[in-house]
Amino acid sequence: MSIAVLLILAIAAFLAGIGGSYLGIGGGVFLIPFMTLVLSVNIKVAIATSLIGVIATSSGAASVYVRDHLTNLRLAMFLEVATTLGGIAGALVGLRVPELFLYFAFGVMVLYAAAAMARVRETARQRAYQAGAEPRLTERLKLSSVYFDQEDQGVYRYRVERPVAGFGVSAAAGLFSGLLGVGGGFIKVPAMNILMRVPMKAAVATSNFMIGVTAAASAFIYYSQGLVDPGLAAMVIIGVFSGTNLGTRLLEHSKASNVRFAFAVFLAAMGLAMLLSRLPGVSI
Amino acid sequence: MIAARGGLRLVQRRVAALRRAVVAEVEDMNRLIYHILRGGVVVSVAVLVFGFVLVAMTGRPIPERSIPPRSLGDQLYHFTPEGYLSLGVLILIFTPVVRVLLSLLSFVKEGDRMYVLMTLIVFANLITSLFLLA
Repeated sequence: MSIAVLLILAIAAFLAGIGGSYLGIGGGVFLIPFMTLVLSVNIKVAIATSLIGVIATSSGAASVYVRDHLTNLRLAMFLEVATTLGGIAGALVGLRVPELFLYFAFGVMVLYAAAAMARVRETARQRAYQAGAEPRLTERLKLSSVYFDQEDQGVYRYRVERPVAGFGVSAAAGLFSGLLGVGGGFIKVPAMNILMRVPMKAAVATSNFMIGVTAAASAFIYYSQGLVDPGLAAMVIIGVFSGTNLGTRLLEHSKASNVRFAFAVFLAAMGLAMLLSRLPGVSI
Repeated sequence: MIAARGGLRLVQRRVAALRRAVVAEVEDMNRLIYHILRGGVVVSVAVLVFGFVLVAMTGRPIPERSIPPRSLGDQLYHFTPEGYLSLGVLILIFTPVVRVLLSLLSFVKEGDRMYVLMTLIVFANLITSLFLLA
């Protein structure tokens, strides 16, 4: 790798760090296509490098969100059980599923999530604690929590709905993570926000917290295979870490509805790209 | 060299902050997790920068393959760029594992059995993947 390529990668990683920490994803979905298509890095090396970037995003951004009490630590632990199990299953079994099926299932699901997130606007009223009884599991696991929103200086109490469904979707997120070398944040954020009714910022922070552990499980496997290119990984770590310092500040001070919208646009673009990339005669 | 010295100072500051955190803020788990995660990345970046300084000093090409953990000690002893770049990457990969261990301790202290069990499962999964293909 030449110095120029490494510097370009560091800049791309910087952008991935900003976007990743702002949207609650690892940035792997940016980095893998960039490395393979623009820098023509081998796909397996790209996946390994991206996993390292996911961990850097997670540690860099999650640390700030945890300090500022945006992250729901209990919810994260509960869902991590699913994502790590899914991650191992993805690495072992998922490889036998036809690739085409994965791409389409993935693309359709991502587009659905994008539409759902763009349509529903999150207002302070919706964020407010709803009356009525909590689901039994939520109560038992003390999943409901509060967070402080720096944008409007409000403290919001929220409760976690449909914990079992969220657990299932997280397992699927882990599966994709093990398979494609991404953190799976783009599945977890909508799952928490739409399905479990966790406010957007808390969902982003909690997702960011979880992806590091999910990616670490797969990163060990790639490292032991000698697939981690230390030069590339170093540039990605340095770039991503600088990016997260900006992205976290962006999230904490921006409107939740803007975060949702940015996320929806991002999902839509990704879903389309994934579907189109499998159509004959189109290369993305 | 300036980069290396700056990195060292950053590491020192992190270590000092971490020690203060452990001593004074054990009750505040969020604060401690912040220092572990942040410290892990900062130390990793510092080691990586040192690796690049070695690349510049030895004039050797930037390595393209990770070093197996077995031969890492030897590489570090001989101050090869490969060794220090791989060490930086490994420190980063292990940061989330340390964080899970820390969560385990905090749930044990709280006496929350359900969460101790869940954290143990997550930790077991991480260890499994560590030995799965090693």
